Amino acid sequence: MTVTIVTRVRERALSAPTAVAMRRKDLGIWQEIGWAGYWEQVELVAHALLALGVEPGDRVAVHSENRPEWLYADLGTVAVRGITVGLYPTNPPAEVAYLLADSGAKILVAEDQEQVDKALAVLDECPELRHIVYLEPRGIRGRYTDPRLMSWPELLELGAGHRSRHPGAVAARMDAATPGDVMTLIYTSGTTGPPKGVMLTVRNVEFAVKTLVTGGGFTSPPPSDRDLAVSYLPLCHVAERAFTVWFNAASGVQVNFAESIDTVQANLREVQPTILFGVPRIWEKVLAQVDIRRAAATPVKRATTRFWLRVADRIGDTLVRTGGRHTTRTRLMYGLGWVFCYRALRERLGMRRVRYAASGAAPIAPDVLKFYMGIGVPMHEVYGMSENTAVATANRPGRVRLGTVGEPHPGVELRIDELTGEILTRHPGTFAGYWGNPRATADVLEPDGWLHTGDVGEFVDGGHVRITDRMKDILITAGGKNVAPSQIENALKASPYLKEAVVVGDQRPYLVALIGIEPDTVGEWARRRGITYTTYRDLSEKPETRELVRGIVDEVNERFARVEQVKRFAFLPKELDHEDGELTATQKVKRAAIAKLFEDLVEGMYTR
Amino acid sequence: MTAPPGVSGGRSRRVRGRPLLYTSYAQDMALLDTRGKRIWTGVLVAAAFAVSVLLADRSLEVLAVAYVLAIGAIGLNIVTGYAGQVSLGHAFFVAIGAYTAAALSGPPGGETLGYGLAEIWIWLPAAGLVAAVAGVLVAPLATRLRGLYLAIVTLGLVFLGEHVFKEWKELTGGPGVGREAAIPQLFGYRLDQDGPLGTKEQVLYLLMLSLLVVFAVAARNLARSRVGRAFAAIRDRDIAAEVIGVPLTRYKVLAFGISSFYAGCAGGLLYCVSGYVEPGSFNLLLSVQFIAMVLIGGVATVSGAIAGALFISLLQPVTRALPALVPVISGDTTQTPNVFQVETVLYGLLIVLFLVFEPRGLFGLWIRARNYWKSWPFSY
Repeated sequence: MTVTIVTRVRERALSAPTAVAMRRKDLGIWQEIGWAGYWEQVELVAHALLALGVEPGDRVAVHSENRPEWLYADLGTVAVRGITVGLYPTNPPAEVAYLLADSGAKILVAEDQEQVDKALAVLDECPELRHIVYLEPRGIRGRYTDPRLMSWPELLELGAGHRSRHPGAVAARMDAATPGDVMTLIYTSGTTGPPKGVMLTVRNVEFAVKTLVTGGGFTSPPPSDRDLAVSYLPLCHVAERAFTVWFNAASGVQVNFAESIDTVQANLREVQPTILFGVPRIWEKVLAQVDIRRAAATPVKRATTRFWLRVADRIGDTLVRTGGRHTTRTRLMYGLGWVFCYRALRERLGMRRVRYAASGAAPIAPDVLKFYMGIGVPMHEVYGMSENTAVATANRPGRVRLGTVGEPHPGVELRIDELTGEILTRHPGTFAGYWGNPRATADVLEPDGWLHTGDVGEFVDGGHVRITDRMKDILITAGGKNVAPSQIENALKASPYLKEAVVVGDQRPYLVALIGIEPDTVGEWARRRGITYTTYRDLSEKPETRELVRGIVDEVNERFARVEQVKRFAFLPKELDHEDGELTATQKVKRAAIAKLFEDLVEGMYTR
Repeated sequence: MTAPPGVSGGRSRRVRGRPLLYTSYAQDMALLDTRGKRIWTGVLVAAAFAVSVLLADRSLEVLAVAYVLAIGAIGLNIVTGYAGQVSLGHAFFVAIGAYTAAALSGPPGGETLGYGLAEIWIWLPAAGLVAAVAGVLVAPLATRLRGLYLAIVTLGLVFLGEHVFKEWKELTGGPGVGREAAIPQLFGYRLDQDGPLGTKEQVLYLLMLSLLVVFAVAARNLARSRVGRAFAAIRDRDIAAEVIGVPLTRYKVLAFGISSFYAGCAGGLLYCVSGYVEPGSFNLLLSVQFIAMVLIGGVATVSGAIAGALFISLLQPVTRALPALVPVISGDTTQTPNVFQVETVLYGLLIVLFLVFEPRGLFGLWIRARNYWKSWPFSY
């Protein structure tokens, strides 16, 4: 029998039926879901999918925020040897159409009226879509008459009926599973072109589980059923899928679903997770929040916090030198600071009990990581991508090297192309190919199994890997110098006042930057100085704001070589948005789109 | 939505070290929801009991009276603080309790009424119930009147009561004479005499403290129940409360009934310590004292009422010592200014100061201090 995440859940349901598998907040209470309850739902969904005629290899799409039903649908699909396709809740209708049509999904699980509307609007483009299952009936029941619609309870009822008629059907399907079965399509964010569906097989995911979860590739000691995690990033992303679904199924980590992305801070405080994964944007945002809120505190609190954060900075410096291991001195300083500041601060941030924190999915400024290390949150930068099932490198506890993405996991072959500097990986987690796109597959996957990551990097001190930038993003200035814009951008974004920074300068005499301010922090800053403003754009265009940003840019410039300095900058007139095609679903900037949209701004900086 | 699977209503596990993670409403509503609260409340109660062997008898007497007043203050807080019905008639209900208890426990065939039922478990509930009946009879007024008008009407009760008790000599012994108060006897043991358990003051102190704990816990439980929420709804906006389905009349009657029950019990116990009750003591000043306890302690909090009662009671020994320190103030009631006048002025002044500067009372001060540290290192 092939071990899959579904058999793992079934096993837990038998061995620990009442232990907590996950919690969801409902009417103010964290409702617990036990392993037996989890498995029951997965089985019902699987039976229902059989009843709806899902054959091995059929695609089931899920378009929802993180919630238990996401997992039920995902595992139910895998149980009947189907393929789960995740859609970002923020995907606009056009992208929904593309993803549904490209994957050829037969069944769509849509969260609410908003997502159902998107699907209904593009039905003509998705001929293979036969059923739409909605989770929240509000606004749909009794008003929509499309015969393809079906509520979640109806789906479960269908499953219950099928189970009583064919009790062993799902078990039989599960037994027939092979390691080569594709179990999910993870769509790349598509910064440069249309998203591509990364096919991950049972073998890939099992390798990732063995390496990252049960093998303790990230945490030390490996995660267990005593660990808590908060699930809040989109589950269609490989990182969140690993930290939520795979950690949960393989190690029994208790998953707590945040109510929404806006309540993450409050939910973190309540749950106080032990394992916390975040993308750079989240870590930067939390840091900015700390700055705003301590500036608004009473003088005594402000002074104490300022002092202890300065101490934390020193502790962080030492930890950076030692790779994350405390010295007697830092331990003593930290102990004192813990009493006066860090304990309370971490409690407020929801990181009091975090024993492992990770940042990944995009590059992050080392200063941000150092802040968390200083206040005692064990922060680790990790690296991986959908194409290698998120398995590549990680900073291991006690061997952290700031500015690098860590060392390759055991069992992972990683080399750097001598000619281009590109990072290549090879291991059993390498994907089976892009869905319906063998040409794109051939571009990144060598016949001998090496995967082109598209990232340029180098080895630091033999073991750790430092990533310079995405290959496609490397700029070559008119002077012929290669410049990695993301390092400059991240140095800029480490400031709490800046949200976006896009460095431009390909084939140009010097570098310029398009800058988007962080409205929360700059707004608070303006309020304290008595600067009145109306809109985001108005705030950006204030001379005082320009002065503030000028200072930040100058400071960052000092750290870079002359050719890498940002000579001029302009403000983005609006906040970048997924809906408008400026960001991908994962909030990554689409450079080409930005360069085109704000062409006049960029040109203005070169002609003046 | 179907019910989430695997959730059973009765199961209630706390997740270790996560005080804000509630997995059931029972946890959310728990009186002592964190380990810190459990420990500190335990320590506080243990310390209060330990005081009985540590302090001198004179101080224990003051504290025992303070605890009884606290029971009365909690009662007033139920009707005025939680349900928002201003009552100046609390002294009236206290008086009813005091005389019911005294009459029931008094020796038969004496100068004043007496039925010889000295067992505390008979006369204490009886005192409460008779007062509660009186409260229920008065309550219909409250359903028609609001705010100041209700205050004036309940004020009338005090004068009515004062008159009746002065004239009804068979029960009260008449003004200036008085009668002996309720006799606390438990299973044949007189608690107001020195015995194997300790001195009279020690025994009474422990009795009053235990009763206070019982009454306080009962009031806290009431406040977090459906009834307590209905009271709060009526206080915050009676029309809105009615719209969401709170029967106003029933809950106002209930509030007066429960409040009067507390007042009656406090009345029965109040004079056990001195052993003597005089009808003139149930005047407006007593009502104002209770109001002061509630306002200074903290409106709509049980711990505030207790703090207020302790504050006012401990203020008395201080003011009584004033004539020795400030010669202008006399200890004699016939001269002006005397300590009693100073006391009255002080109550008024304290009420005004608290209402202006800290409307949430002593409890508000505590909340302020607690929030300062709770929000550390931020301000919110």
